[in-house]
Amino acid sequence: MANAATVRSEGTRSWRSAPLSVLRRLGAVLALLAMCAILAALSDHFLTFDNLMNVFRQSAVNTLLALGQLLVIVTAGIDLSVGSILGFACVVAALMLKAGAPAWLSILGAIAVGTALGSVNGLLLTRLRLPHPFIPTLGMMNVARGLALVISGGFPISGLPDGFRWLGAGKIGFIPAPVLVVLAVCAVLHLFLNRTMVGRDIYAIGGNKQAAVLCGIPVNSRLTLVYAISGGLAGLAAVLLAGRMNSGFPLAGAGAELDSIAAVIIGGASFFGGVGTVSGTLVGALMIGVLRNGLNLLDVSSYWQSAVIGVVIVMAVWIDVMRQRSASKNAHGS
Amino acid sequence: MLRVENIWKSFSGVPVLRDVSLDVRAGEVHAVAGANGAGKSTLMNIVSGVLTSDSGTILWDGSPVELKTPADGRALGISFVHQELALVPQLSVGENVFLGRHPVNRLGVAWDEIHRRTRELLSAMGHTIDPTRLVKEFGVAEQQLVEIARALAIDARLIIMDEPTAPLSGAETARLFGTISGLRARGVSIIYITHRLPEIFQLADRVTVLRDGCHVLTCATSAITSEELVRKMVGDAPAALDEGRPAARARELFRVEGFTNAGKFEDISFEVHAGEVLGLAGLVGAGRTELVEAIFGFGPCDRGALYLDGKQIRVRSPFDAVRCGLALVPDDRKAKGLVANASVGFNLGLTSHDQFLLRPRWLRESAEAIVRDLRVRLSSLDQPVTTLSGGNQQKIVLGKWLRVGARVYFLDEPTRGIDVSAKAEIHNLIGRLAREGAGVVVVSSEIDEILGVADRILVMHRGRIAGELTRGEASEKRIVQLATGGE
Repeated sequence: MANAATVRSEGTRSWRSAPLSVLRRLGAVLALLAMCAILAALSDHFLTFDNLMNVFRQSAVNTLLALGQLLVIVTAGIDLSVGSILGFACVVAALMLKAGAPAWLSILGAIAVGTALGSVNGLLLTRLRLPHPFIPTLGMMNVARGLALVISGGFPISGLPDGFRWLGAGKIGFIPAPVLVVLAVCAVLHLFLNRTMVGRDIYAIGGNKQAAVLCGIPVNSRLTLVYAISGGLAGLAAVLLAGRMNSGFPLAGAGAELDSIAAVIIGGASFFGGVGTVSGTLVGALMIGVLRNGLNLLDVSSYWQSAVIGVVIVMAVWIDVMRQRSASKNAHGS
Repeated sequence: MLRVENIWKSFSGVPVLRDVSLDVRAGEVHAVAGANGAGKSTLMNIVSGVLTSDSGTILWDGSPVELKTPADGRALGISFVHQELALVPQLSVGENVFLGRHPVNRLGVAWDEIHRRTRELLSAMGHTIDPTRLVKEFGVAEQQLVEIARALAIDARLIIMDEPTAPLSGAETARLFGTISGLRARGVSIIYITHRLPEIFQLADRVTVLRDGCHVLTCATSAITSEELVRKMVGDAPAALDEGRPAARARELFRVEGFTNAGKFEDISFEVHAGEVLGLAGLVGAGRTELVEAIFGFGPCDRGALYLDGKQIRVRSPFDAVRCGLALVPDDRKAKGLVANASVGFNLGLTSHDQFLLRPRWLRESAEAIVRDLRVRLSSLDQPVTTLSGGNQQKIVLGKWLRVGARVYFLDEPTRGIDVSAKAEIHNLIGRLAREGAGVVVVSSEIDEILGVADRILVMHRGRIAGELTRGEASEKRIVQLATGGE
């Protein structure tokens, strides 16, 4: 295990692309393209512009959750609460709109609420010194879902104004607005992780927490920040989802935390921390989206879809493990 | 009863035991003494079956035996009480004593019998411990008794104890000595490994001294003095003093006052001058690592104050320490020094806290400068740091501080496990940091290293400063005496 981890340096690449890491990232892209080719051969509808935009749009929410999850997993943590925070933020935004708040304020409200709950996760982890992020985020998963049901009375809040819905359902030219939102977030997070010292600190914490502490990195505040960002992105995802569905419903995002974790892991991040990229996560999320879309087009029942996706997750990680084992053998042999 | 003859053992080509012999009589306490790295632990691992020797014979009651696994040793009646106790804390005392050999009856595990026999074993040693309570409820002293009871439960005739008093208080040590005397009276033999000379004279019947993997001497403790024993442990050769650098005693740069963490280190005060290399000598477990980590805000500390340039500084975490201008190279570079799955360049960049937006070119150029400066042998800054040799890894751990430049460096075992040439380069670097006006505190268990690099030496023994030696006064013998609690 340790040997496998030692060669996973792509995520911590801070300057200059080693050819090997380029190839490795292309590997995931190639797998995605292969999957697209197969689906294109099986279905005439798959490779149409409208359908591809559809895939992007439907993947947007999961991608945003996965990007937050990526930061957390890079620190060797896990955030089980992103689905519930999304549900709570959906309801908060819808209630603000119903109370007459302008669209921009409701959007900020959803993001702020998500960030606040995420910060609570981080503070519980670092101040109460709970043994593993599993615990505070599992607690938050239940609390946020409960609060969403409480303040909504358990009913969806439908009929939202167009100004609010634009981010989730609008278009610029022929490109869906949520796709642009996702690309913008990807760009910002990529720069954050690779071009700021705080981003490098996050990799260091996941790679070796003790070494990070001893280098003078303020580990607790960095961890709190990471969970806050994860919550904030769940709030932004809530805006897109509520806009697309034209409704703030308290059960939104149930189970979404697991899809987001799957996207990050398929994208090459390691549960042991210190490894993971924005581009990999984007590919991972698209892979899940393409698979769902393709299976729909092929009229596979949603029951079977779930089973297929489960197999794909395990296979993706297994292939990664095998590749690294052989890479580490080569490294030791040379 | 046990006779070990002409044992040879090497690890990856390096001989650690050279033609060592040892004999232990029934009912005696036999001390094995020697400096760190003398081969004591290796020899004991061979006697207990953890390791096998390259050549040599082991005789048990006069007949040759082969010990291939610890189980072989136990079957003969040889039991090893390790420094790190091998108990399961969440299980009861009785279950630990009979772990893996639970007596059974028709209803399954015979708990009554376990508890009854454990109580008997413990009371035979003169102790009353409730066998139904969990091991974790007890302190180290009682846990040691449980280990000894476990040895007796398999009718051990030879018990090996490795530094058993290291974690014990004075009163607990006295009680353990009582227990050991009781065992001796019952005909059980004890091999007693220790660094502490007074214990040898207090407890042991005979003593064997190892030095650099060779057998130096075996004699009755009544036939040797403490002074002679130290000389046997370190050898007769006078330590060579490197007179390269004049002793620096400029202005006080950094001062530690009254640092205490009960049980680890007590009331430690010292100062470091600008341009001075201060050596912190002592045996493993003397509290040196705990001390420097507490100074750096990484480990616990009950009380104490730090002063930099005469002004008090507050260090509650390494974050504070780094911002005050302290730097620490930890004792264990894998566990605490390196981000192992990352590249060399990444590891060198870990301390660039003054940066927010990173300029890749600046990062690369400053990393390359350090690599050139320290002559790190690598093919690319992007290669995983773990593909470097140990010495080059250590240069990276140290090098990341050079980029930011600290006022006071704490180097904990800076050359442990690295090759000779890298070692010399790190020693040169230590000298250079001092010449440039920094204060350097070097913790090392290698006496040669301390003598070679330090301008002044503090020797720690059981969490206290046992003495301070100037460059002129220092000798290997003096340091060993102070570090082992001798006069």
